[in-house]
Amino acid sequence: MSDFRARRPASPPSSAQPYGKLSSAPSQRFPPRPKDRLDADERKALATSGYPRQHHPLGGFKLSSGEVKLLILVVVLAAFVRLYKLSEPNSVVFDEVHFGKFASKYIKTRYYVDVHPPLAKLLITLVSVISGYDGNFDFKDIGKIYADVPYVMMRALPAVMGLAVVPLTYLTLRGLDCRATTALLGSVLVAFENSLITQSRLILLDSPLIFFTSLSTFCWVGFSNEDKAEPFTEQWWFWLTLTGLSLGAVVSCKWVGLFTIALVGLCTIRQLWLLLGDMRVPPRLFVKHFCARALCLIVLPITFYMAMFEIHFLILQNSGEGDGFMSSEFQHTLQGRGMADTFADVAIGSEVTLRHVNTQGGYLHSHPHNYPGGSQQQQITLYPHRDDNNNWIIRNALEEKNTSSTDLVYLTPGMTVRFDHISTNKRLHSHDVRPPISEVDFQNEVSGYGFEGFEGDANDNWIVEIESGDRKDPESKKRLRTLRTYFRLRHPLTGCYLFSHKVKLPEWGFEQQEVTCNKNAVKPNSLWVIETNSHPNLPPDAEKVNYRIPGFLAKFLELQRVMWDTNAGLTDRHVYDSRPLSWPFLKRGINFWVKDHRQIYLLGNPFIWWSGTAAVLAYAAVRGFLVIRAQRGYKDFLNTGVVKADQLCGFLFLGWALHYLPFFLMERQLFLHHYLPALYFSILLLAGVFEVVTGALRPRVRLQIAGAIAVVAILTFAYFSPLAYGSSWTRSKCMRAQWVKSWDFSW
Amino acid sequence: MEARRRAAPGTATNDGWAADGSEGPVPTGYGGDDEKDVYGKARVGYGTGRLGPPRQRAQPPPESFAEFIQQNVEHVPPILYTLLSIWTRCYKIGLANVVVWDEAHFGKFGSHYLKREFYFDVHPPLGKMLVGLAGLLAGYDGHFEFKSGDIYPDNIPYVTMRVMLAMFGIGMVPLAWYTARELHMSRRACHLVTLMVLLDVAWLCISRFILLDSMLLFFTFTTVFGLTKFHNQQYQSFSPEWWFWLAGTGLSIGAVCSVKWVGLFVTALVGFYTIEDLWNKFGDLHMPIRVYARHWVARIICLIVVPILFYMASFKIHFLILNHSGPGDAQMSSLFQANLEGNDFALNPLEVGYGSKVTLKNMGWGGGLLHSHVQTFPVGSNQQQVTCYHYKDENNQWTVLPAWGETPYDPNADDVDFLKDGDVVRLQHVPTKRNLHSHVVPAPVTSLNHEVSCYGNETMGDVNDHWIVQVVDDLHRGKKEHVGRIHSLTTRMRFRHKVLGCYLRAANAILPQWGFKQVEVSCDKEDNPNDDHTYWNVESHINPKLPIGEMKQYRSPFLRDFWHLNVAMMTSNNALVPDPDKEDILASKPLDWPWLHYGLRMCGWGDSQVKYYLLGNPVVWWGGTASLIASVGVLAVYLLRMQRRYNDFEPGEWEQFLYVGKIAFLGWVFQYLPFMIMGRVTYIHHYLPALWFSVLMAGHLIDHFVFSSKRLSERTKQIVFGICAGAVIGTFWWFRGLAFGVEGPIGDQKGLLWRKTWNIYD
Repeated sequence: MSDFRARRPASPPSSAQPYGKLSSAPSQRFPPRPKDRLDADERKALATSGYPRQHHPLGGFKLSSGEVKLLILVVVLAAFVRLYKLSEPNSVVFDEVHFGKFASKYIKTRYYVDVHPPLAKLLITLVSVISGYDGNFDFKDIGKIYADVPYVMMRALPAVMGLAVVPLTYLTLRGLDCRATTALLGSVLVAFENSLITQSRLILLDSPLIFFTSLSTFCWVGFSNEDKAEPFTEQWWFWLTLTGLSLGAVVSCKWVGLFTIALVGLCTIRQLWLLLGDMRVPPRLFVKHFCARALCLIVLPITFYMAMFEIHFLILQNSGEGDGFMSSEFQHTLQGRGMADTFADVAIGSEVTLRHVNTQGGYLHSHPHNYPGGSQQQQITLYPHRDDNNNWIIRNALEEKNTSSTDLVYLTPGMTVRFDHISTNKRLHSHDVRPPISEVDFQNEVSGYGFEGFEGDANDNWIVEIESGDRKDPESKKRLRTLRTYFRLRHPLTGCYLFSHKVKLPEWGFEQQEVTCNKNAVKPNSLWVIETNSHPNLPPDAEKVNYRIPGFLAKFLELQRVMWDTNAGLTDRHVYDSRPLSWPFLKRGINFWVKDHRQIYLLGNPFIWWSGTAAVLAYAAVRGFLVIRAQRGYKDFLNTGVVKADQLCGFLFLGWALHYLPFFLMERQLFLHHYLPALYFSILLLAGVFEVVTGALRPRVRLQIAGAIAVVAILTFAYFSPLAYGSSWTRSKCMRAQWVKSWDFSW
Repeated sequence: MEARRRAAPGTATNDGWAADGSEGPVPTGYGGDDEKDVYGKARVGYGTGRLGPPRQRAQPPPESFAEFIQQNVEHVPPILYTLLSIWTRCYKIGLANVVVWDEAHFGKFGSHYLKREFYFDVHPPLGKMLVGLAGLLAGYDGHFEFKSGDIYPDNIPYVTMRVMLAMFGIGMVPLAWYTARELHMSRRACHLVTLMVLLDVAWLCISRFILLDSMLLFFTFTTVFGLTKFHNQQYQSFSPEWWFWLAGTGLSIGAVCSVKWVGLFVTALVGFYTIEDLWNKFGDLHMPIRVYARHWVARIICLIVVPILFYMASFKIHFLILNHSGPGDAQMSSLFQANLEGNDFALNPLEVGYGSKVTLKNMGWGGGLLHSHVQTFPVGSNQQQVTCYHYKDENNQWTVLPAWGETPYDPNADDVDFLKDGDVVRLQHVPTKRNLHSHVVPAPVTSLNHEVSCYGNETMGDVNDHWIVQVVDDLHRGKKEHVGRIHSLTTRMRFRHKVLGCYLRAANAILPQWGFKQVEVSCDKEDNPNDDHTYWNVESHINPKLPIGEMKQYRSPFLRDFWHLNVAMMTSNNALVPDPDKEDILASKPLDWPWLHYGLRMCGWGDSQVKYYLLGNPVVWWGGTASLIASVGVLAVYLLRMQRRYNDFEPGEWEQFLYVGKIAFLGWVFQYLPFMIMGRVTYIHHYLPALWFSVLMAGHLIDHFVFSSKRLSERTKQIVFGICAGAVIGTFWWFRGLAFGVEGPIGDQKGLLWRKTWNIYD
């Protein structure tokens, strides 16, 4: 029993007060107050009007001239390691295949679809246009030699952005109230981190991403400092707006930027929560705080993000490789994919093309080739391009051939019809035979069947079932109208519905999409729409329709969905992919480029990388230990030193966790470079831990320790630098550098 | 201590529970009047923050019946509700004399216990053994096929079986009452919660058939009840009652998990409560470490060891009962099957030779038999598919032949060359005569491995058909060094591809529809000698030249079979993935459940059939969901107000509010959210356990804001109670036909279509 009593501090009276309200008695252990720190009375005096307002530096960043010089030195060094021989190798490296290609597409204004938002690619394009690139290089394969491409300038953009991260690191740490030594150490570590260097020397998106991540963090730190000093000043608004803009930029580079937004969001919520508990803040003022943040940190980034897509759409006006991903309405907005107006009313005898609604597989198609298996009748497929083989004539199935009649018989629900394929003279047919790929009992084959003079049989019949019409066209719910009516086709003899899904036929089917007749069809995949329509008896001035041109918002939302689906679909394994658990330990790198016995291999600086991970683990362990102690009644969290250290490291740890842990939920293929934003935070945290650990040392000793760490880091960098620059290396050095068995660069 | 009470002891009469609620937890902190009495307090409960119930004055034994009733008046409502539930659960229970819905499965599994034939199913055995027990007690002999929609013959006592299983449904109602009581809800709230449990149409409907859901629900209820009971014993830790309820909770965890794995979700709630509780005790500086350690040990024993033992015991009984060969054999290891009566593996010739026809069993957990069929891969090489298949079939047979270039096997020769470690063999698929083959083509699913296919024929082939036999060990003879010739059943071996050096492997990767969802077989480049999935054994072995083996008596170890079966269950469960192209009108998505978007037709919908429609009582479901959403808002508002220093609660009241809210909300979250990430097909009845927590939340919130409110008048409370109870009773009466069975055309029942998506009418 005496144990726990001894643990209690002697000073507070053992009254019935809960912990939180105990005021900590001033202790001799705390260092003397800094000169520019005010106590409560002084601050109160300051708040009264007429008192000269004390000047505080912008964003709380106050740098002495000495440290500015040192910082410039570090930046110059960093510039050297990032820009050194930027023109080597003179061929395409790793994902330059993609991102170079996208620049070409922007220049050619051909539409493409990518899983990443456009900002970083637009910036690369901008640089390449300024440097006079004409967009004619195809970036086809890794290792292809560049010809007529200003690739050095294109690489320079990520390199400069990577370079900018170095001073940002310094300023962020200073803004977080770290000492100059710590900040200097942090910036040196960032400057000599091999993977950050490798990544920023190539035309890749990660360098802009990390730049904007660090910019957002920096701005947020600046804003927090302003907020502590005095809210709603011009400077305060400046930093808040800047934070919002850079958040918009980071998420416009890659969706991973959302993690940065989450970091700032959580910190904002914490700020607001503390503000709410501050009884001096009246509700009206709180609402003002809330609205200012909502405006700048939610509305502003979203607007920025959407603006990037507006630019994207404005540039990409022509049809290109990405058309197939988009809906027909969207494609209609692209030049070269537009469609002439077509007749609205569908009647018996109409010549039509049928498009599958739910997939982008295209039009109901047939061609003079037969199925190799099954019934061996003519193939029916979905074909994405316009072609005469997509044309069908609608016939009435039940009456005799009504060619003489001149009045139009509209297609209404429940009508039984046949579809004649014009170019091959076959009819759309289905029967109780399993389809070629989806050989399951509820699927039937669909084929083209018939010959000249053959009347056809009941298996050629299809019943029209209207599913939905257009809101603005009430007629379209009552009868079939081109582009406006979504309908299903039921096969009366087997009860199945004409169906298609994202399954490709093999080579014999020219890799077109499979069409089947499904007895338990899911609705979306059995919907069809008539895209073009003409009828001999319709006068040329009859009502015509066309796709409705979607507005920006509709296009924007559709593209977001397509990006999401494409992203989620990237589940194939890649030779160099890895799972998140292996990243903090740097188990394996990525082979970027191999040519002429030289190699570029993405590998971090093991010393910095592992130290960063160690810092993360150490903080987590210490923090966990403190929580356990707190539960046992120790009052560590009343110690201002502990609180201050915890705020510094906790913020950085949160940044690391938010940029790392969500990857565990992702099913898609992942690579080591997805860890780099988290690595940035782990390096900051390493500096933070250094700050805390060396807090009690003399400045000179601290400087010496920092120097030693920096030297080891730089030596390790130099040791592995051939992998970053793709420079020549002796075999023995290469073998010796293989510290971990799974680093597969030396084969 | 007595001085603290706000209500005098013994005044807890009819409406005294509200007072109980505010009285239970009292903050400890330091100080208070009894600061000096540290030791006295430590003896009682180490500052658990919980005080016992008001001490009842010991009552004299009842002398008359009236006095007996008076003394037990609190038990009268639950008894009445139980009687009512007996009526609802059993009313016209035999109306449909056909096999309804999943009775087809569970009735059949029950029959297997009566016939003692080994079968395989994705659910643990307890529930089905209880079905079998019900059948046994009812005098059913197990010889009915339980085909869906079949009419029960006269000799099948299906009504008795249904009534016995309805007991679990009946038991839910009193449990609901006592759980609400243990949560210190006011009397009216207890009534409301019990009414909701009694009158929910979905719970009612699912309890009236030969299904596992009523047992799952019952054990879910007992687990929650045990937990709340245990919570209220915390003021006197390690007392007999405390132990009783802790152990009771553990047993019902064991039971609920032995019925369906879904029971693990309610276990998660208990786990969460326990961790939080231990964490709070850790912060209790009055508690000696030794006592704290005892708390840990008690919970580990009762909440981990006891449930696991219970679960394993249910499997032990399962194996003991099912000792005959049956339809589920192929899921188990060859050794297990050899021990089943009616299995001929023990007659296999012992030593495998060239020319033997064998089936090869993968020894990974849940592994199947090496299989091939005429269908080809639509991707990769387009050669004939090789898969792993769990059922016995002609296509599982392979002939062991010498490599190309060696002396060909002569079927007419008398002597037999025996197979041994290191031999290079060719495995020929018996029905198609093609050879097991591998090449540098990525496998269809595990694309880092090489594809394995069947290629060539009896006379044509290449070196890619060659496999080296590598013995791992023998279950009888021990290590590799002691193994000479390959024995059937017991020798574990690996097949190494001679050219590529990769190992034949079947892990639990499922092929798409074109591969009939069978297990992928690939050739693994990594040589991982401890990977079970590369181990194979000879299962059936036919070689007319060799003598038939002896019936050897060796037992397959229980733990191994137990684990094997569980992994196989897990694998099959994950394979229940819906075909995205097939419209399944019975299935529904988790998002459809809370707002009762769909119902489920449990049987045919003809005019002459008795029709059952699984649909909740809309008032109960919608009210529960609305209160769950409201609870988040209420919590947020209270937290925001606290941060602004508003004081809304009496001391202790907030803890009690939070405790009940946590049980209800987290219980619901644990029961519901996992279905969102589950790949397998889901049905509306998966929501039924979660519904219990949403009902608790509805009761809790309405109790907090109305029935226990100090501002509202007694009259208002009466009116609110009347409206709520009336709504529940009214909707039940309106929809009762869906659970009691609709005779005649469904069109005659008007006004049931409250949501357009319900497919009640044609």
